[in-house]
Amino acid sequence: MKKISILMAIAVLAVLLFSCGNNEKPASGMNSSLIDEIQKRGVLKVGMSTFMPWAMQDKTGELIGFEIDVAKRLAEDMKVKVEFVPTKWSGIIPALLTGKFDVIIGGMGIRAERNLKVNFSIPYDYTGMSIVANKSIAGGLKTLADFNRKDFVIAARIGTTAADAVKKLLPLAELKLFDDESQAVQELLNRNAHAVVASSPLPAYQALKNPDSLYMPFEENFTREPIGFALRKGDVDTLNFFNSWITVVESEGWLKERKYYWFNTREWASQIE
Amino acid sequence: MESKPRLTILDFVLSAVILLLAVFIFYRIKIGLNYRWRWDFICQYIIRIDDATGKAVPGLIIRGFLITIKLGIWSTITALIIGIFMGIIRSGGGLASRLAGLFYIQLIRNIPPIVLVFIFYYFLGSFIIELTGLDRIVYNSPDSVKNILSFLFTNPARFPVFISAVIAMGVYEGAYITEIVRAGISSVGKGQWEAGKALGMKRTAILKYIVLPQAIRYILPPLAGQFISTIKDSAIVSVISVQELTFQGLEIMASTYLTFEIWIVITLLYFILTFSCSIVFEKIFIYTRRSRSF
Repeated sequence: MKKISILMAIAVLAVLLFSCGNNEKPASGMNSSLIDEIQKRGVLKVGMSTFMPWAMQDKTGELIGFEIDVAKRLAEDMKVKVEFVPTKWSGIIPALLTGKFDVIIGGMGIRAERNLKVNFSIPYDYTGMSIVANKSIAGGLKTLADFNRKDFVIAARIGTTAADAVKKLLPLAELKLFDDESQAVQELLNRNAHAVVASSPLPAYQALKNPDSLYMPFEENFTREPIGFALRKGDVDTLNFFNSWITVVESEGWLKERKYYWFNTREWASQIE
Repeated sequence: MESKPRLTILDFVLSAVILLLAVFIFYRIKIGLNYRWRWDFICQYIIRIDDATGKAVPGLIIRGFLITIKLGIWSTITALIIGIFMGIIRSGGGLASRLAGLFYIQLIRNIPPIVLVFIFYYFLGSFIIELTGLDRIVYNSPDSVKNILSFLFTNPARFPVFISAVIAMGVYEGAYITEIVRAGISSVGKGQWEAGKALGMKRTAILKYIVLPQAIRYILPPLAGQFISTIKDSAIVSVISVQELTFQGLEIMASTYLTFEIWIVITLLYFILTFSCSIVFEKIFIYTRRSRSF
């Protein structure tokens, strides 16, 4: 909890610092757009965080996943090289605001409160939350409302829309936050949490992987969330470029095909284990 | 002649307690935890055979381990520069410089290192890199320079973050080294200063020729300890995504869910590194003490 408040403070400071900077010299943002800078540098810097199967490291340390394919194609179409900056999810927005990378392509859900700090492209993907529960301490439940109990502990990843969904939809349950999903799932397996809420298909994978201890109370997602690229405010040209790019690859059917490969097949599993 | 240590009742009791603790931990892991152990997957993260060349290359964990070592060395060098300078300032000179030294160590020692790391990463780090244009220089440098940089530091793409981390760690550890240096200087007797003055030497000359050579003896042992603690503290910079041992471990855990196996490997690697350092330093000190004694 201490870490979150530190991060929040830093995020606020970062935003303050940047808004001050923008007030002093608004012209600089208008003259050179990010697109020009990326072309000049020859490198597109992409902020991301490990989320299975959006982005993950394979055996050789190379990044693979749906988001990685999207970012690679984007860079290819911009005729520049791509460089990934793996960043902890909890600090990814402050890192974007302080210029550690150009854009977040990391499965970031478009949300009003995030949009106050950063700009979002049009959605290139939709995701939803689903829930996986422990058979021995929370067995036989069928609906989301069954989990809204005072004596239940629900685990989720810090700073994600999953955490927000738990707060909103399961207000009675105790929310336990972790730095990444693997820790949340471990807590579930250890019977210290009754359920884990995360973006699908992660809960379904975990239920498949541990059939004797975990189960899915219901198969379908209980939220639907648009996913977009996040970039710094005040750069209309870059935003327009990203939007158009998404429209084009969407019409091609390329996004759908990639999404099918990463989310509906397990062909890539041998690259990780 | 040394007498052989005899076993007492206390030794037996302690051994029994340690054994019980080990059994308890083993029981907790085996039965208390619902966990499927998959040690066979760990090997490829330590060392793996490259498909293209057929040669053995370091796996992700070992790559992180090497970054941890480099981070430890460069942070200690930065800390030494700051520490020696501030330590000398703090043990003498004018009131203003002594106060500046005091302000530095009090400020740094009363801030949690994680906060310092964040501040350097988000504000000062990017400011310094922008100011010096380090980012562009690294990007535009020829491949030979890039190779040297990645050997000495980290791969060029991660260079700015690495530098932020080194500065933050250097400033943090520097505060402790300052105190070590100050303590070393003040353990040299006052008479030495007075003797120097009586010979008509200036303050800097006394420091250089009389005090520091003697102070080194008091400074080195705690300095070695500080180096080991720098290695341990370097795990903190995983929060700003420097790809050192802890960060790599966390990343692999997020991809594979091998939580316990990876934590155990990481623990062992840190232990091997710091323990072998402390043995090496101990050997060096014993050797130098012996060579001094006659």
